[in-house]
Amino acid sequence: MAGSDLAKYPFLNEAGAYLRESNFGWEELDRPDMKHIIDRAAERIEIEVNGKIYDNLERYEIEILTFLISLVIVKSISIEQVLRKFALAEARRAEKFLTEDLRKQSEIKRRSVFTKIFEDLFKLRILVSEDQRLFKVRVIDYLARASHFNEQEWKLINRLVHNGYVYLDADETVRLIRNELAVLIYDKVRAMTLPTLPQGIKSRADELRLKFIPRYERRASAAVTDYPPCIKHALEVMNRGDNLPHSARVMLATYMLAIGKPVDEIVLMFENAPDFNEKITRYQVEHLAGMKGSHTKYSVPSCDKLRNENLCFATAECDTLINPIQFGRKKK
Amino acid sequence: MRENLFAGKNISVIKKAFREYYFNQSKAIEEPLKMEQREFGFAHFGQAGMLRHLSFKSMKELDAMLVREAPSDVYCSNAYYRIPTQQPMHEKQWLGADLIFDIDGKDLGMPCVPSHSYSVCINCGYASPPEKHKERSSYSCPSCGCKKADYVSIPCSKCIDGSKKEARRLVEFLLEDIGLEHSAIHVYFSGNNGFHVHINDDAFISLDPQARSDLVGYLSGTGLLLESIGLRKTNTEDLFSIKLPKSGLAFGWRRRIAEKLKIDMTSAIKLKNIVNQNGGYNAFKVELDRLARDMGVRIDPQVTTDVHRVFRMPGTLNSKSGLSKTKSSDLNSFDPFVDACLLGDGKVSVKVKTPVKLKLKRNSFNVSKESAEMPTYAAVYLMCKGLAEAN
Repeated sequence: MAGSDLAKYPFLNEAGAYLRESNFGWEELDRPDMKHIIDRAAERIEIEVNGKIYDNLERYEIEILTFLISLVIVKSISIEQVLRKFALAEARRAEKFLTEDLRKQSEIKRRSVFTKIFEDLFKLRILVSEDQRLFKVRVIDYLARASHFNEQEWKLINRLVHNGYVYLDADETVRLIRNELAVLIYDKVRAMTLPTLPQGIKSRADELRLKFIPRYERRASAAVTDYPPCIKHALEVMNRGDNLPHSARVMLATYMLAIGKPVDEIVLMFENAPDFNEKITRYQVEHLAGMKGSHTKYSVPSCDKLRNENLCFATAECDTLINPIQFGRKKK
Repeated sequence: MRENLFAGKNISVIKKAFREYYFNQSKAIEEPLKMEQREFGFAHFGQAGMLRHLSFKSMKELDAMLVREAPSDVYCSNAYYRIPTQQPMHEKQWLGADLIFDIDGKDLGMPCVPSHSYSVCINCGYASPPEKHKERSSYSCPSCGCKKADYVSIPCSKCIDGSKKEARRLVEFLLEDIGLEHSAIHVYFSGNNGFHVHINDDAFISLDPQARSDLVGYLSGTGLLLESIGLRKTNTEDLFSIKLPKSGLAFGWRRRIAEKLKIDMTSAIKLKNIVNQNGGYNAFKVELDRLARDMGVRIDPQVTTDVHRVFRMPGTLNSKSGLSKTKSSDLNSFDPFVDACLLGDGKVSVKVKTPVKLKLKRNSFNVSKESAEMPTYAAVYLMCKGLAEAN
């Protein structure tokens, strides 16, 4: 793998090996001529925490080092949200380069190097489609990843599926592993033990920390202004005294718990159910609240799950939601 | 309250028949893969709830328990656990779960159902014959005035054909789209009114509930976007443009919809006309959703997405009917009322609560008299349905 590739994918073990081979040592970072690399690392973090991609690729030796120093600084900042945003942006950065590399259809050999890397790293086997125009991954590999994406277009039903494979273009193929890339970078930072930091790095890390702290203070909680249509429908059925399926009851109770309704009030909502038994209902609501049984607090089922169970009565206002709990919420 | 159906003499007759089955037909019970990693559960006649968190090291141990206890229903987890008996659930240490599907005849909305559904009062057990046009909400027991009833169906051949059709469609999806091997797909009659499909493929056992839910969406035709077949909504309300997908319409759902709408990659204008004839983008969206659900398989999403479920064990008896959960290697020739009716032929005297017709083991029973003597398999069937009592 070429040095320029390592600048694009500096999280690969080969990048670390490259630095070792060049006899790089931490003490060198206190040299005045290294200041611009530390500045660059700080700049990389700021850009990425602000949700943009740092795509500088001028000199690959510098970019590899910049990445390494940015990991150290992020670790030293020690704010969870900063680490998460940084890891995701680094993943999106690699995704951008990887998409470009995979698109180079004329360079079949190079392309196979990259597919091999991602098979080794993420156990994702990427094959080229029969007509060479697309990539294909096994349905099972696709489901394990894409089922956690929120956009409807990623649902398996909206993909070209045939004979055990899902067909994707280069962007889509690489998008599949974005989360794993982010986890890889996140884990790298989490697993680091910091050496005594050179002063130049320590002071930049402290500066950034002071800058980020106010941003990630606890955000104002949100208030519910209206119930989503699925909940309204369940309440209507319940108020009519009709039988509401178990899954709809779970949805109703977990929703009410999530918006902070007290258990007593939730139990009374089920009063009209044809089989209402206060003791059983109370136990079940408390169970969902994590107060009984396994002490697992149940979350509100996702819109996807409700759609599958025919409990979704979406209106236009639901368009961008992935969970009923997001409906009608606004920041105070 | 099904447990009320099983009282006194009924229990002893049914239990005797079940015990005899487990004694004589122990080979019919399939040994689950990695048995020692499974959780087992049982229900007992006349008792509410289920006894769970049990474990068996061998079939011999399980067989002995079945003969000793003659449970009403026997369940085995689709999940594999390091410690299957441990509670609470998370301490079992989940290792994976087989992919399973449940097709329940009662969810298919078959029009024939009212003509063979009997109401059985939940209070006194009084059974009334099928009443085609009567609303369930207006039920009142002629004997005790209770307002609630259980509705029990004696599935007819149309019901079974309806379930078979769904099972065939599921198998087709699993083979053609999901790419499963034929040998990995095992179809079973559920023992009452539907089919269970078990997948024996290690690749699927690690899938989490969300991934299984996505698969359920695919199989049941839920959530298909118009964009998938090339429709793009423009910013203006209800206007759209058409750009057929570069990757074509040859496979999967795109093929199914394209065939239904009779379009191909040269049909952009035709598709536009179809959308307009249906009343525009929004109206066609509703229509496509209906089409896809019609073409999808009606499976119970809860069963497939549950990775901790205890599921009826193949080869065991179903207390809703006394029939066995039986493997069907060929759905065309499979007749559940013959192939899954495995109880004995000894005579049992019963009091039939309401005139009833049924056909089991190729014998027709048209019982209108109160007291009747019939073979064990038929008597147990009617008792399990709540339509007869042991004399």
